[in-house]
Amino acid sequence: MDSRYEIQRRPGGGGSANASPAMGAQSRRRKMPPRPADYKLQIIIIGSRGVGKTSLMERFTDDTFCEACKSTVGVDFKIKTVELRGKKVRLQIWDTAGQERFNSITSAYYRGAKGIVLVYDITKQETFDDLPKWMKMIDKYASEEAELLLVGNKLDCETDRIISKQTAERFVSRISGMRFCEASAKDNFNVEECFLKLVDDILAKMPLEIPNKDISNSILSLQPEPEVPPDLNPPRTRCC
Amino acid sequence: MENQEQCALSERCVDRSSLVSEDGTNLKSVLCQRCGSKVLCPGMAAFAEKELFLPSMRKKTTITQSEGSMDGDTLTAHWLVDDMYTFENVGFTKDVGRIKYLICADCEIGPIGWHCLDDKKSFYVALERVDHV
Repeated sequence: MDSRYEIQRRPGGGGSANASPAMGAQSRRRKMPPRPADYKLQIIIIGSRGVGKTSLMERFTDDTFCEACKSTVGVDFKIKTVELRGKKVRLQIWDTAGQERFNSITSAYYRGAKGIVLVYDITKQETFDDLPKWMKMIDKYASEEAELLLVGNKLDCETDRIISKQTAERFVSRISGMRFCEASAKDNFNVEECFLKLVDDILAKMPLEIPNKDISNSILSLQPEPEVPPDLNPPRTRCC
Repeated sequence: MENQEQCALSERCVDRSSLVSEDGTNLKSVLCQRCGSKVLCPGMAAFAEKELFLPSMRKKTTITQSEGSMDGDTLTAHWLVDDMYTFENVGFTKDVGRIKYLICADCEIGPIGWHCLDDKKSFYVALERVDHV
């Protein structure tokens, strides 16, 4: 089994004492306070090669990160916490860089995602032309409930722009519920705003007042789902 | 006191009592040393001792002497959590063998911690590689 799948699907529930190899920690772990987050959401970033997916997730700082780790290993995913609507939300953000061929991104990536960020490069026609193919993958594998955000990246390269904002807006208007924004990961412009809007859309779909916290935890915990062959999922009709 | 026993075993016991509560959790917030990004809220992690090797935080080109190891440190004092969602902000590297290193989610300095895919309920953050505020 793919290790990514395992770590992604790991049940979030409490710790069994014998899981720890560390001496002295076991008795204390039972005293740890309850999970602090109100919601846990998985977000994936997809799009064609070179559009800046990784830059959207990580600020590039080549002189600080352990060189060996950065160049040969790279960042797999991040946990980030945001506060929205008075709720503390933990985001698990996955970057799919290096797996840009449409069929190489495993369905496991899509299945658990509450939010999908689809990225193209406003200076590269082919990355925009690829969008329908990415939408087919979303329709095939992602939950119908997943919120979608289209990001036109590299706004810092305005002079080389090929894809007008209007063109992208026309594309988005044909897909129900998809948000759109332009951003520059390089300049860190509009990136956080885009993510927050996406998270806000996800929260808007959730029942905000849940009297029993245990219930909300059980709904939102990342329990393993039964393996369903992709063919059994009826294709969505969201895309053209 | 248990804390003092741990203290005697570890390589550095300065300020240990100001960092570890009586029930063995972190008294203070755990922050990135470089950018201040919050990694853990107070009380969320257990103090744990385990010998773990973490590659150096500095570039290889920088000459640094750290406990007899050229490329990293074997660190013993860690904050341990059993669920990755306990973290406020943290990044995970891709797999290095069965290991994922933990890094700052914002400035990506690291490794600040260690996770082995064979133990899904243990995520370690080295005390020496984070700030406590």
